[in-house]
Amino acid sequence: MRIADKMQFEQVKNNLSKNRSQMSELQNQAAMQKRLTKPSDDPLAAARVLGSRIDLQSNQQFSKNLTYARSFIEYTDQSLGDLTELITRAKELTISQSNDASANQETRRTVAAEIEQLHGQMVSIANRKLGDRFIFGGFQTQEAPFKPDGSYRGDKGEMRIHVDKETFLPMNVPGGRVFLGQGVDKEGMAFRSDPQPKTIEELEKKQLGNTGDAPAEVRGPASVAPAVTNQAQTAEDSGLNLFRVIKDLETSLRTNDKDGIQDSLDALDSSLQQVILTRSQVGSRGMILDQLTQTLEKAKLNNQSAISVMEDADIFSTVSDINKTESTLQATLQTSGKLIQPTLLDFLR
Amino acid sequence: MSRIWSMMDIGRRSMSNSQTALQTTAHNIANRSTEGFSRQRVETVSNQTLTGAGSLQIGSGARAGSVIRTNNPFIEKQIEREGGQAGYLNSRSELLARVEEVYNEQVNEGLNHSVGAFFNTFRELSNNPESLATRTQLKETAENLTKDFHRVIRDIQDVQKDADFRIATKVEEINQITKEISSLNLDIARIELHGSTANDERDRRDLLLKQLSEKVNIRYAEGETGMLTITAGNTAVLVSGTSRRELTTGTGYGKEGPGSGNLEIMYQSTDGGTPVNVSGQMVGGELGGILSVRDDICQNLQNSMDEMAYKLSWEVNRAHVQGYDRQGRTGNLFFNMTDDKTNYASRISLSDAIIGDVGRISAAAQKDAPADNTVANIISNIQYKGIFDGGKTTIDDFYNALVGKVGIETQRSNSEATVQRDVLAQLKNTRESISGVSLDEETTKMIEFQKAFDASARLIRTADEMLDTVLNIKRY
Repeated sequence: MRIADKMQFEQVKNNLSKNRSQMSELQNQAAMQKRLTKPSDDPLAAARVLGSRIDLQSNQQFSKNLTYARSFIEYTDQSLGDLTELITRAKELTISQSNDASANQETRRTVAAEIEQLHGQMVSIANRKLGDRFIFGGFQTQEAPFKPDGSYRGDKGEMRIHVDKETFLPMNVPGGRVFLGQGVDKEGMAFRSDPQPKTIEELEKKQLGNTGDAPAEVRGPASVAPAVTNQAQTAEDSGLNLFRVIKDLETSLRTNDKDGIQDSLDALDSSLQQVILTRSQVGSRGMILDQLTQTLEKAKLNNQSAISVMEDADIFSTVSDINKTESTLQATLQTSGKLIQPTLLDFLR
Repeated sequence: MSRIWSMMDIGRRSMSNSQTALQTTAHNIANRSTEGFSRQRVETVSNQTLTGAGSLQIGSGARAGSVIRTNNPFIEKQIEREGGQAGYLNSRSELLARVEEVYNEQVNEGLNHSVGAFFNTFRELSNNPESLATRTQLKETAENLTKDFHRVIRDIQDVQKDADFRIATKVEEINQITKEISSLNLDIARIELHGSTANDERDRRDLLLKQLSEKVNIRYAEGETGMLTITAGNTAVLVSGTSRRELTTGTGYGKEGPGSGNLEIMYQSTDGGTPVNVSGQMVGGELGGILSVRDDICQNLQNSMDEMAYKLSWEVNRAHVQGYDRQGRTGNLFFNMTDDKTNYASRISLSDAIIGDVGRISAAAQKDAPADNTVANIISNIQYKGIFDGGKTTIDDFYNALVGKVGIETQRSNSEATVQRDVLAQLKNTRESISGVSLDEETTKMIEFQKAFDASARLIRTADEMLDTVLNIKRY
């Protein structure tokens, strides 16, 4: 092959620039400790890194949500515990006053005063607040859900918290359920939750039912507020009203009505069952919470390691590549020096 | 006697031939690094023999026939064609690198992050719908999201403006080149009229042709007089013999009326004719590469961003209007919305009601339920809902796939450009191998011609001595 001078210079130029650009890329990798600095470095990995990042971002929020829900659930559980103790105390008192051998009108009147106090305590438990939210008010968290006489101003709302991609965990127990027995079936065994819409379609259907109008235009102006659903107690709400149980007991005690007192004993047992049922539900939520927390922590770790595997530079291979490229560069420089120097002219003196 | 004279004559002409050859060698050496130069050789031919006495055929020396250039037209043509492809890929990958920067979330937090933050804040709202602080935070995050959409669109438009600037420069360069080619056309025709070859002019014109082809897709043909006719694209005749027409640039008719669109390439076929938009014909060379990024890739990306912003707003609004705000009002919009999808990403904004009062954010599905978070939950779950491609793709997947697509496009054109550069370098190598100047070779030739010159001089001296001898015969 005929070699022209320009070929040699071009070749030297090309080779050097190729080596140098390789070197600068590796140097960049070593300095940033990243294999991926722009999407074109590895488009598939780049898209997957983004996916993992967004997962990580949501998982961090889910963790936060879990922590928040946990404090709510734990406080509810504690309050229900207090309620259990309160009813147990009432039951003890009732047992002691249920026969004429150990009790008389005098003692019953004294105990009635204590029961009245228990009633007050029960109202205060029912009106407990976490931060500035009443925990037993359903969606009505801004004002005390129970009046001193035990009537309910709250609703059946369950606050669901987004704790995982597909999971919404209810964190509150509406006071109407545990104190008034709303949504408890005839056997007193299970709670029936109001189904809440989970998708836009369900929401639209529900609101349609509420208003009887077509769903509001997405782009249109604000429409007239539709009427609120009726919160009245329905026939299926066959649980016990704890306040009434206590109140009845108090009345029976005051009137020295032994049969009434004995009836109250049964009612108190059922009340206890109703509270325990709620508590077990809250407890199982706590367990779900623990599981989810663990899963989330694991997922977060997985996200992080997936991101790291895809975008972090392997420092050993980078350094060894740098050494390789450097020696290539040296060789190129040396041979180039030799290649350019001699021409026939150098030997014609 | 006549033979001695003839000897002297041959020697004299030979000396002159050697000088011509040496002069050409000097020309070669001087043009050793001239781009596009082909080495030249003097073609010497032996003179017609004179018929001497009897049957003797006695030669009468040599003469310089012509100066020719060593050149392979096929390779030149190939370089011109591959150069066009290289120009296309180079400019494309350069511009794509800028597009990629818009979507580079490896280093910075981008739209992906803003979208995630937007939904996370809805989750935060769902934790505590009563809190004004959370609502304010949501408003800020949502405003950030809209700003990020605007930023992406602005960045893409900046790339398009950069493309416009590059196009204007390229068009200017093309006009410079065609100007020189048309004047070279005239030179070549004039020189070759007398039967010789316009070596240096042709070298220069070949080089210019290659440069032109690197900038834009051209077709050309050489006429009988050696003049080139060059057409850019399909119809824009740039050079025809000695006349030429320039390309110009003009702002097209954009969405906001005349003067608002991108720069278009115009061609006027006759003086006073209507300038025609020929941008669509420029599919090769650097111009083609720039236009493909500006008009296809950037435009598609803008459309995708519009779709993404529109679908997001649509879904959020759809849930939000069903909800109730703090004052028990329903039917509130979260984002402002119109029927017109075009340019939505650059217009997306929060509804004025929410900007004015964060209490208007509707988290509840029923009236006067301050802790009701049903709607907030539904909105936060839109993140995991397939709202694109007929319900198959979530917003995150949609965006990540977009980033992946940009990455793949950039990666592909980078590697194609590298390959093409190597192909071109190889071809240029081959060309240099045929046409390039080698000092070693020229030095050898120099010695060769010098020796020939010496020998010719010696011949004349010998003839002179012979003449002396002849003239001195009488003395003895």
